[in-house]
Amino acid sequence: MGGLATTTIVGLGGLIIGLVFGATAQRTNFCTMGAITDLVLMGDGRRLRAWVLAIAVAIIGTQALHASGAIDINQSIYLTTNFGWFGAILGGAMFGFGMTLAGGCGSKTLVRLGAGNLKSLVVAIILGIVAYMTLRGLLALIRVQIESATNIDLKARGLGNQNIGEMAGGVLGLPAGAARTAAAVAVAAAFLVFCFKDTAFRRSPMNIVAGLIIGLAAVGGWAVTGILGADDFNPVPLASVTFVSPVAESLQYLMTFTGSTVNFGIAAVGGVIIGSFLMAVGTGTFQVENFTDRGDMLRHFSGATLMGAGGVLALGCTIGQGITGMSTLALGSVIAWLSIIAGGYLGVKYLEEGSLSGAVRAVLARG
Amino acid sequence: MTEHLLDAKGLNCPLPILKAKKALKDVRVGGTLEVHATDPGSVADFVAFCRATGNELVESTQNTDVYRFVIKRLA
Repeated sequence: MGGLATTTIVGLGGLIIGLVFGATAQRTNFCTMGAITDLVLMGDGRRLRAWVLAIAVAIIGTQALHASGAIDINQSIYLTTNFGWFGAILGGAMFGFGMTLAGGCGSKTLVRLGAGNLKSLVVAIILGIVAYMTLRGLLALIRVQIESATNIDLKARGLGNQNIGEMAGGVLGLPAGAARTAAAVAVAAAFLVFCFKDTAFRRSPMNIVAGLIIGLAAVGGWAVTGILGADDFNPVPLASVTFVSPVAESLQYLMTFTGSTVNFGIAAVGGVIIGSFLMAVGTGTFQVENFTDRGDMLRHFSGATLMGAGGVLALGCTIGQGITGMSTLALGSVIAWLSIIAGGYLGVKYLEEGSLSGAVRAVLARG
Repeated sequence: MTEHLLDAKGLNCPLPILKAKKALKDVRVGGTLEVHATDPGSVADFVAFCRATGNELVESTQNTDVYRFVIKRLA
């Protein structure tokens, strides 16, 4: 492709997708943590529906790209036959709980950072360091132990991947392609109905636009790495938007710039921060914020730590597993997504009750 | 004159809403709660909160870096 290296093209693609993501999230208030807290604290499900709409859009676009042969989604990390069900549950719950303490998930942290929030700068740095520790450092020892003790090898059970359609098709004796398409249509349709049967959501163009653009960003990410990155000799790994490992890689990239090569995730992280910054300045909402008390600081530190470790263990965040992973219809992504929501719910209850035991009691009492 | 004041300055989503929800329980129906916050996201949050909980957002103003909300408890 012209004179540009494949990695440069993919990096530019990641930057543009990040810019669109960051500007959209900043302008529309798209927030996966807010989606849960809105519902729990005020019974307002509009931001949850914006997230679900993004997933539906991502499923439709991604499965269409796969069916057309433009990308082979089976090459993504989400569909691997090494099925990490326990990591998805534990890591997902940790991530969900952590994001309520830290005032938002990985992507929201970058969005708030771009809009001038210095607390988010600290959260991003801690999240990145802990994520890297869990990927390759001290915490990786524990992660590997957990994974080797609990992961299930699907290949040994005669399965080629963990797409929920193909897994169900295998049980029912349906051809893989048809089962995959049927699952994609069924899940996307159910999610669209869930979104648009709600009058408040239908009357909220901001949330509809947010869901559409964020969902398309995930599809765009697959296209950038899978089509533009499909170099015959040196293809880039198939990936799309996710904000835990790339935050760690971005820190490393900044520190070892001359010896590093940009990838999709790093470029997208930069794009989200810049996109949010430009939108915040353009709309007059840029505002420098900082820590005001010790409790607030401790909450952000612990939230960032839980998100960094949990996000790596679960193979992604509310965006990485919650939208990008969900678009592949991987069973592990479905488990991680639901676990993140459960962890987030427990997190809100913890903030409300002031203690973990109180939060558990409140959850059990369905209060 | 507002009868109750909640200082949520320096706190980010979801805490201003969470604390306002708690504080509102002590406000009599028809009474008002004034909230001070610094999170720019709280502007949209309080509109959504009042809409969803059936209370009235009487006032939403900004004075330099501080946002001021006055909520009238109706429900």
